[in-house]
Formats: sequence, C-alpha cells, structure tokens
Amino acid sequence: MRRLRSHPSLSARPITLELDGRTVPALEGEPVACALLAAGERVFARSVKYHRPRAPYCMSAACSQCLMRVDGIPNLYTCQVPARAGMRLERQNAYPTAKVDIFGAIDFLFPRGLDHHEMFAGVPVAEQVMAKVARHLAGLGLLPERAPPERAPAETLTTRVAIVGGGAAGSNAAETLARRGVPYFLCERDEVLGGRLLLGAGAPVLAVGANARVRTRASAFGLYADQAGRYLAVVGVTPEGPRLTKVYAERFLLAPGGHASVLPFENNDLPGVYSGKAAGVLLARHGLVAGEQVALVGHGGDLYALARQFEAAGSKVVAVVDLRGVPPADAPEHACHGTVLKAFGHAKGRVSGLGFQVSGKQRKVPCDAIIVCLPSSPSFELARQGGARVSWSAGMDSFVVEADAEGRTSGSGVFVAGDVLGERSAEAAAASGQRTADFIASELA
Amino acid sequence: MSKSLLCPCEDVTVEDVQAAVAKGYRDIESIKRYTGFGTGICQGKQCLHAVARELLRLAPVEPAAVLPFTPRPPLVPTELSLFASVPVDESQPPAVGVPLALGLTQHALRPEAPVGPRAKIVIIGGGVMGLALAHNLAKRGETDVVVLEKGYLCAGASGRNGGGVRMQWGTRSNIELAKRSIELMKQFAGEMGINVWLRQGGYLFLAKNAEIAKRLERGAALHNQYDVPTRILSPGEARDIVPELSLQGVQLCAYNKDDGVIFPWPFVWGYAQSCQKRGVRVETFTQVTGFEVHAGLIRKVKTDRGDIACDQVVLASGAWSPEVARLASITLPNAPYRHEILSTEPLKPFLGPLVSVLDSGLYFSQSMRGEIVGGMGDPREPAGLNMGSTLRFVARFARALTEQLPRLGQVKVLRQWAGCYDVTPDNNPILGRTPGLDNLLQMSGFVGHGFMMAPAVAERMAEWMVRSTSDELFSRFNLDRFWTGKLEHEDMIIG
Repeated sequence: MRRLRSHPSLSARPITLELDGRTVPALEGEPVACALLAAGERVFARSVKYHRPRAPYCMSAACSQCLMRVDGIPNLYTCQVPARAGMRLERQNAYPTAKVDIFGAIDFLFPRGLDHHEMFAGVPVAEQVMAKVARHLAGLGLLPERAPPERAPAETLTTRVAIVGGGAAGSNAAETLARRGVPYFLCERDEVLGGRLLLGAGAPVLAVGANARVRTRASAFGLYADQAGRYLAVVGVTPEGPRLTKVYAERFLLAPGGHASVLPFENNDLPGVYSGKAAGVLLARHGLVAGEQVALVGHGGDLYALARQFEAAGSKVVAVVDLRGVPPADAPEHACHGTVLKAFGHAKGRVSGLGFQVSGKQRKVPCDAIIVCLPSSPSFELARQGGARVSWSAGMDSFVVEADAEGRTSGSGVFVAGDVLGERSAEAAAASGQRTADFIASELA
Repeated sequence: MSKSLLCPCEDVTVEDVQAAVAKGYRDIESIKRYTGFGTGICQGKQCLHAVARELLRLAPVEPAAVLPFTPRPPLVPTELSLFASVPVDESQPPAVGVPLALGLTQHALRPEAPVGPRAKIVIIGGGVMGLALAHNLAKRGETDVVVLEKGYLCAGASGRNGGGVRMQWGTRSNIELAKRSIELMKQFAGEMGINVWLRQGGYLFLAKNAEIAKRLERGAALHNQYDVPTRILSPGEARDIVPELSLQGVQLCAYNKDDGVIFPWPFVWGYAQSCQKRGVRVETFTQVTGFEVHAGLIRKVKTDRGDIACDQVVLASGAWSPEVARLASITLPNAPYRHEILSTEPLKPFLGPLVSVLDSGLYFSQSMRGEIVGGMGDPREPAGLNMGSTLRFVARFARALTEQLPRLGQVKVLRQWAGCYDVTPDNNPILGRTPGLDNLLQMSGFVGHGFMMAPAVAERMAEWMVRSTSDELFSRFNLDRFWTGKLEHEDMIIG
C-alpha cells in the first residue's frame, strides 16, 4: 500500500517492528496495521474455520480481520495499537506461516462449507477423530506468556451527563453542554475527537467546558446500574496502561455512530477488500492509499466522494458499482448501476479483480482494492442495554434506536443522537447532538 | 475457494444462514445460535445488519419481527485483569443487570394460528427437559403431544448453561442419572444426526477448607462404589493436569477423567427436530396463561394462542415452574436464582478439565471453540427471575479466576450473560405426580444441572408415563417429600 508523498503523518519518527521474526519499518505512533499495510504485508492472519486469509477491513475495532499477537498478548486489534520501536508481532492461526498455511486446504476441501452440526454426526471413529481435530484447529491466539502487571484500581467518576462518542453528534452535544454550564464526561474510542469530521477539511477543536472530562482512546462497553445509580463502564488506554472507569451520571447521551457492515458477495473477505470508512481513514488520517486500481461498490453519497478522493490521490478508479440507483451526472467515468458478484484473488490471497453485473451483462475489471461503501450500521448496543427500544427500519435498511425529536428513548435517562438513529449527514448529526444536549440541559436546569 | 461471508469472525457464509432459515429458524437469536454468527471477537458489529438483511430477503418475515440479538457487555473485548480491578461491595446484593427489560407484552414472532384444540399430553417448557421427554414419548409411540415454549428454543437455561457434564455427585440417584446421561450423550449424534461435541477432559474440584475437603473425599469414596473413577489428588498432582494453575491454599482436589464439557444447544435442536419428525408439535413463542381445573384434574391448558384440552400436563419450565404452577394454584417450594456466566476470546487448547473451586462456587472450562467459559455464584443473590448481567459478577469472577490461573489476566472477555437455577430446598429435583392435581406431572427443580440430567431423566419419565411401570425416582423425588420431610440433601452443587 502506497504512502502519500506529503502527509502530516510522515513527520513521525521512523522505527522498526518485528513481524514473525522479521524487521518491518514503521512510523512511531501510527496504528500497527497501517505500518504493516504500508510495508506491503497483505495477510495478517488466517480465519478460524476455513483458514482463509485475513487482513484489515474496518480500521475501527469493529471487525476481527486485523488481529495479531502483540508482545505476547493474543488477539489485539492492530488497527488500534500504536506502533512502538521493537514491538513484537505474530500472525495467528496459521501453520507454518500465514502466507503458506497448510490448513488453508480446509477451504478447498469444503468448497460448499463445512456443516459442523451434521458432519460425521454419529459416524463411529470419524466422529471422535473429528472432535479431536476440531479442538486443535479451534481457537485463535495462544494463552498469554505471563500474568499482567498489577492494574491501576478502577476509578469512579460522577457527572451530570455522560456522552459516548466524540464524532459530529457527540462533540456538538459536548459544546452545547459546556456553553450551558452543565458538567459532562465524554469518551471517544479514537485517539482524537471528530469522527468523520477528521476525514474532511480538518479536525474540529472542541471547547471543553468547566467541570468537563474528555477521554480519548476510551470505549464505553456497558451501561450498567447498581445501588448507587446507573453508570457507564469505560475501558481506556492511559500512559500508565489500561484502566477501567465507572461513570455515574443522571443522563446518558449516546452518540456512538455506526459500524462498517459486511456486504455479502463471493470472496468479500479477501485481503484488499476494505470498508469505505477504513479507506477514508487510511487516506485522510494516515496518508495511505488503499489501492492503485480501485473498484468501489455500495450506495450513498460517500461512495462517489470516496471515488473522487482516490482519483485525487493518484489512483485509478476502475469501477464504481452503485447498488441502489443510476449514478449522478458528475460521477466518475466508470460508474454504473449494478450488482456485485465476486471478488477475484491471487493465489497469495489478495484482490485481483471484481466481477459485477450491469444491465444483465457480466463484467470483470482488474483491481487491487475493493472498497465497500455502505451507510454505517447504527451502534444501538449501549442504548438497548439502557432500556431503549431498537427496531428494524425498512427505510434505513438497518436497526435504529427508537427516539423522539429530542433524542429521548424508552430507556429512562437514555438519549441518542447522530448516526445511531440511522446514518445521516455530518451536519444533521451535529444538529441532533446539539438539540438533544439543549433538551437535557433544560431538563437538568 | 469462493465463499460469501456474512460473519468473517466465525467464517459463517450466506449458505450457512440460508440453511438455518431453511431449517425453520426465523428469529435472529436462533439464527445466531445455529450458525454461530455474531459470536466472534466483534460480537456482531460487522455482521448483524447483513444477516438481518439476508433474513428479510429469504423469508416472509415482517420487519417488525426482526429484532437484534441481545447486545451483551462488554461491547469491546476487555481484559479480565481490568475487571478484577473493580471494587465490589460484598455487603450489598447484586443489581438487576442489563439489558433492562423492555416490558413488551407479546413477542413479535408469536404465530397467529390457534394452538388447540386438543392433545393427549401438553408439556410446558421447550427446554432440554420438555423436549427430551417429548422425544422419548414419541419414540415409545406417544405422539399426541404438544410442547409449549414461550420464547425461542434455547431461550432459557438450556441455552444459557456452561455445558458441564459430570458424574461427581453426592447421592446415588444423581450419580446414576448422570452416568446414564453421559452414556446417552455419546449416542446422541448417532441417533439424532447432530454433533454435540462431548469432550471428556474431566472435572477437577479444588477444596480450600477442611469441610469441603472432607466432602470431596466422601464423594470420591461414594463414586468409586458406583464405578466412577474419581481420584483424590494432592495439589502437586493437580498441577500435572493443569500446569498453569496456582494452587495456593488448596488442600486437596478430586478428579474424574470421564466428566467433561459438551455443547448444550444441539440437544435442544436435536430433540426438537426428532419431535417434529415424529409428529409432535413444538410451539415456540407461545405462553401459558392459565389452566382449567375440574374435579382434581387439569382439563385445559390456556395459552395466548387459545386453549388446549388435554389428559396430562407436564411442568418442565425450569426456573419458571413455580410461576406456572401458581396458575394452577399449586405452590412449589423451588425458587429461581440468577447465575451469571461469561465467555472469553477463543484460545488454542490448553485447559483439559473443567476446574471448580467448591468453596467459592467458581468454575471454568475451555469450550471446544477455545473460549474460557465460566461463572461463580453470588451468596448475596436474591431469589427472582432475573437474567440481567452485572459488572459486579465479572469483577468477582475475574478476581477469583485470575487468582487461580494468573496467566488469564490479559485474556479478554467477549460477552457475559445469565440464566436461572431452579433451586429446591434439598437441591434435588421435583418429579412425578402432583398431590391434589393428579394429572399434573412435575419435571423441574434441577438446581442448575437440569441440562446434564435431561437425557436420563426424560428416558425414565417417558417409560414411567407410557408403560405405567413403577419407578422409585418418581416417589423419591415427589413433591410430597417437602411435607413428609424425607429429604436427601445433595451437596455437590457448584455456585
């Protein structure tokens, strides 16, 4: 994967990492996955059942395709781990190596899949042999080599409003609360606030209010309650190591956005297939161009915007397959309305082409990256834990959290804003964050 | 080789989901369990929406009936050592837990058609007990049977337990039932055509105080009388079996190599499939609302899909049994208690046996898929039907687990959930006829081990019902023992 010739990320100190005993160059602090992609590494691991090649898909800790063993700890998201000099990386679930994995034969021996429920069921001997083999093929990482150092005790915070997510909706909600003098806590998984705003002109600067606490590299993993009230459980990375935080609040404003969904088509898991969000993050944040010959598939405005970004970065856009409708007049040259059939791959397990269908005709274009650009799938999980109703929206083609105009859900004290209500523009997400924060501020006044 | 992946974490393909839909599964929870989608490291973040779209494309399902599976904490993989750092106030009872109930009155998937009008036998509860009984009745020619299940298959304790199966019990009855069950489990795949992944890695009990140590020694002697090869081990011998264990403070251990772990869900699916093949109706998403009782007999079972006239009713509702029995004005002595459990990221196999510390109720094993699956009872847990998840549980469990196996400290928890034990005063089941309501048969009160007992209990119960043979099991564990006072206490309960 090519690095842009000029990008702020290039000013970082060059270092080296150790990948399966070999030395790989990296830029200090960039996600390990970026360093490996830039170094031309394509296969990060092998999948759990068929030993298919795996490589980053989402770049936001919401798939499992970039996992590696890092410094003796199994199954870490290399898209989230900052590169440090001398870091020891190991590919998982591959024998002898991820590139030449003999268990990859399973994928070829069972072209139509392997039904673990019925295969060899009740066949004497075969059944026992299968159970033994399955046990040894199962699992991903190896047990960590040693016990961890003692962890800092979990901390407990109390605030009036707990905000999850520092994207367009969450940042604007925070600014609104700051303006109205309401103490709040905000956690953001990423190392900086801004979410998709970071992919545009530049990162917004958040005016942090008085009595406000903003944590980056901190993810809310549960909305629990105990005798003292309801609280967010947050796991954060601090300079002293990871730490767990309980945040008690009177109101919860959840703006976690959405996840990158898979799009089913043949070989949609090949290395070189990226979500639109991942391609955007790689390009804008890390100065990495996902491919030289890029095919984009999906629907929505981001599809064409991303195609133009690739062109601006010097890549050739070989196809833009719009799954929903006829491309707009200003769309790139090779845009069409069609359906995606198949990704083609090299023997080494990376994308070599895309097969699709346009007006009943099958077409195939060579490419080295396929970008799946779909509206994000609302991250309703925390809201549901807090008692919010979640239902399928036929219009949005996704699950959405049910909420009124102020973002109030059926969960008491649980509010939502932004893409968790179904994907919308950054402006609309920001407005919904502000509106909900205003309502909460009035309620608490 | 070409494959279309819906869940790249677990390699679940479009064809796998199509096969599950073709089997009749129409709800996301069931499709998740049958295919395994959404159970990997990302916990459904990348696949859930894609599977929902596939379901809507494949089956005549209304969008309103498409509900996401329960989002379990932690939403990001989180190290056990961090959970262990959370302070716990042991003087307080645990909280209700999440997700909070939505207070929906009717399940979106409840079928419209009436369930009646008649069946010879109505079994209430489509868990492993009820379905195993229905299968055994059908095998003996009795197919005029309806099984009523208020949720999806596996919604209750049958789908929520840790899959442990053991012969190390404290009474003859339970040892014999467990032995027979394990024998039947070995034959299950052959008979039903579905794998259950029995792995006999043993059960290793650790005792940290003299009373428990004595109990283990007494148990081992009893087991040996019934040809169960339990051995008492020194901590050093236990370390030979699990080298990673820390055995500080352990006085002695009991180990039976023939105990093991199994995948619980295929039992429910296998029995249900067999029932349907033989003409027994299994009605999911159907709730019992009352009974019509006349002259000491139940004449009709009332449901939210109409009444069913019947000759016999079997109460196999596990933790819900007291609640259902109350609808017939019967007071049962059992009570539901939540037990929480969790699963970690999958690791390559290293842990042979299920390890349990009887003093604290800690237990953990490594599943066939490599996850560490375990739980621990909470002495402050109040009675009640509660299946919420608490941070307190993970904190207590993580502390106890990492003390026993320190190298698990940086292993990450993927999801936590809870189920209910159906607890009786003497830790033994309630079986047989109900005094005063002769055609209501009891099949509950299994105190967290119903899943492993079901194959054997159901076999004997069907035999007893169809052939009217006498069987001491149904008098020994009859409800009347709680009034006559002939209680035989089972003391090998984990948690």
